[in-house]
Amino acid sequence: MTGEQGFSLPIQVVEAGGISTWLVEDQSVPVVSVAWSWAGGAALDPAGQEGVAALAASLLTEGAGSLRAVEFGDALRDQAISLNFSADRDSFEGGFRALTTALPEAVRLARLAMQEPRLDADAVERVRARSIAAARRALETPRGQAVRAFWANAYPEHSAGRPSGGTAESLAALPVEALRAALARQIHHEGLLVTASGAITAAELRGLLPALFGGLPSGAPQAIAPLPAFRGFGQQVLPVASPQSAVIFGQDGLASSDPDWEAAQVVLRILAGGGFSSRLMQSVREQRGLSYGIGAGLDLLFRHGVVIGSVATENARVAETLAVTREEWARMAAEGPSETELADAVAFLTGSMPLQFTDSRRIAETLLMLRQNGRPTDWLSGRPARLRALTRERLVQVAARMLTPDGLSVVVAGQPAGL
Amino acid sequence: MTRRTALRSAAALPVAATATPPALAQPAIAPPTEQLAERPLFGAVSWTMANGLRVVLAESRRVPVVSHYLFYGAGAGEDPAGRSGTAHFLEHMMFKGSRNVAPGALSLAVAREGGQDNAFTSRDVTAYYQTVEASRLPLVMRMEADRFAYPLLPEGTIEPERAVILEERNQRTSSNPRGRFWEGFEAAMWGPQHWHGRPLIGWEEEIRAITLGDLRNFHERRYAPGNAVLVVTGDAREAEVRKLAEEFYGVVPARPFTPRQRAEPVPAAAEPRFVQHDPAVREASFMRSAMAPSLTWGETRHAWPLELLAHLLGSGAGSRLHKALVETGLATSASASYDSETVGPGSFSISATARQGVPPERLEAAVDAAIAALLQDGPSEAEVTRSIRQLTAGAMLSLDGIGAAPRMLGGVLAIGLPLEMVEFWPRYLKAVTREQVAAAARAVLGQPVGTTGWLLPGAPA
Repeated sequence: MTGEQGFSLPIQVVEAGGISTWLVEDQSVPVVSVAWSWAGGAALDPAGQEGVAALAASLLTEGAGSLRAVEFGDALRDQAISLNFSADRDSFEGGFRALTTALPEAVRLARLAMQEPRLDADAVERVRARSIAAARRALETPRGQAVRAFWANAYPEHSAGRPSGGTAESLAALPVEALRAALARQIHHEGLLVTASGAITAAELRGLLPALFGGLPSGAPQAIAPLPAFRGFGQQVLPVASPQSAVIFGQDGLASSDPDWEAAQVVLRILAGGGFSSRLMQSVREQRGLSYGIGAGLDLLFRHGVVIGSVATENARVAETLAVTREEWARMAAEGPSETELADAVAFLTGSMPLQFTDSRRIAETLLMLRQNGRPTDWLSGRPARLRALTRERLVQVAARMLTPDGLSVVVAGQPAGL
Repeated sequence: MTRRTALRSAAALPVAATATPPALAQPAIAPPTEQLAERPLFGAVSWTMANGLRVVLAESRRVPVVSHYLFYGAGAGEDPAGRSGTAHFLEHMMFKGSRNVAPGALSLAVAREGGQDNAFTSRDVTAYYQTVEASRLPLVMRMEADRFAYPLLPEGTIEPERAVILEERNQRTSSNPRGRFWEGFEAAMWGPQHWHGRPLIGWEEEIRAITLGDLRNFHERRYAPGNAVLVVTGDAREAEVRKLAEEFYGVVPARPFTPRQRAEPVPAAAEPRFVQHDPAVREASFMRSAMAPSLTWGETRHAWPLELLAHLLGSGAGSRLHKALVETGLATSASASYDSETVGPGSFSISATARQGVPPERLEAAVDAAIAALLQDGPSEAEVTRSIRQLTAGAMLSLDGIGAAPRMLGGVLAIGLPLEMVEFWPRYLKAVTREQVAAAARAVLGQPVGTTGWLLPGAPA
């Protein structure tokens, strides 16, 4: 999969029963992963019913057809099938991974889950209680509170500003009819994006698609409302009793269709990307010992990237950490990266591609993300060449265009000194 | 990730917060699932070099990627008295350069090649690893071998790194009520200065007290070829790995090392009851832990049966605790956990999160009743059969991905267990009988040495 021309991942487009699927076939291990999604998820939750799509998604694997929850769960675990449904901010997703010997059973159970979920009263109450506990637990740490506040500030009045899993209050109030309605809104034959990876041929996949998706209600899910503009909000301090403050910082990014998308990824890798090499990691951790780690990147929602980062430091040093972060932000905005930094970042991003496609589930999920963002099938194979064509001048322009050091929005949860 | 690999990586501290997706191995040709029990899972080969370094290779040509892991048979369990956190501190300092590699240069070089590198410290091992495109194996071997033999541990970097580690401790433990509770619970059960009762990252005051001399001493005494296991998995041939291992690791001098000497556990829990109120907590949580044999300590015959016991007792829907606590509306979740692959005594733990409004004593009484019923009648044949099936059905899934093989192989070999325990682990579980599970349950849960605790919302009394 590598060579002088760089990385490539052979993607086949397989169509059957009105569904078009992307497939990466790999017969080396007897495992198959399939992933699928619809636009929607929490974006379709009616006002006052936050979390209804997520709760409904969790309930799909809690009993379907003639199988009650425990029987359904045992059917999955007896053959080591992982079948999951979830609702994110802008999509409703399903997927499974199974050994090839368990593939027919995985398809049968996934189909049952989508078409005949039971939503038994006891299962609804059990999963509701679990979801409420999770929603409350998410706020037990300073970081959990800071993340919640960041999104709420950036997108007030929109579902993107609310937790996609709902709140303890909204979840408690959901009637079972609302759960049924959420599924009816979401699960349709149209608008379905499907990907697959592993030990399955195109012909076998063609046979599988009608068995998995045939008979879904026709039509498409309701369209989702577009994402409003990111609302910069300056700095907010949430008082939380803790020796260390959690800091979430960010700003508006750019649309995934923006021609500068990949250039922006390179700029952010250099400024704040993974590992030890980024400017922020060097300035904040390596030189000053201010934190265990700091990083930022593009978070994609509604086909739009928001730059979001996090760091945690002792309360006395929050101001210094933020000052260093803003300084690096400003320096990158003003000067862009150096030639060496550009070369290193491109070498990493191109060289690490094979490492990202080493298991079937991750391959299927990556393909699904590409489809959700409207990428063509040759997007990945063309990526190394596009990255290598980036010049320093281009990155200087993109950094200047995208990064707004004065417009950084910051939430600090803790007891920071001097803020 | 199978349950077993999940356990293996659960209690380890990586050097960098940005956890990289782990690394690799599969045989080139897929064996049919039914034959699994007869075939080794990874088909690894192993040899020992003249200086004592054990080498393991699990070849897989599925992707042109290789993973290179160096495990030392020393972890936080080997921290000197009064200096908890030494193993972990040393792990951080190993990134500060070696004789032929400038500080930080290893990570930068690996990133430049599109690779990933990190390290982790568990109670039993310290491991350093890189995952790179297959042709870059010599590069990472050269750098890893250099810091194995000649780390700089430069004096000037120790204070900033101490600050980083204290922030890491704050992030993991001090600013997380469940981290605070877990740390207190372990100390309550084993004693705060017992090797099992100290936090892996160290007590704050002891992290502050660690000197450069402590770190050099730990390296000198524990990081010897005879106390290390080199694991290479992925797209690499045996002849080539043998040659490279000789070239780079062959020059690391053999030297004596201090073998593990873990103190015996206390005959009774330091504090049998541990209740903590924490205003940050929103969900009351129950935890009970009993001292248990492992594959390396005590009545080792109970180890595999205990893995089954944990599954039938607390593996989610269908398990006994789920029926007794979750289906009855007392708890939102309930689970049991046990890891047999550990040095010295281990823990068999039961945990649950109470539903809002359920009094703790009601939940605890239900746990007691469920355990009493299990001890009275033992598990049913059907429960044991189903548990074996569910635990082993997904064994081959660890071939789908590159992270499981090196961690499973290194984790087991570095604590002195044989390769067969990784290659044929389903076989050991399939041989367990109902009577053996009942006996293991009686031994561990019948007259438990352990601690029962609660994490409760609200101000401390």
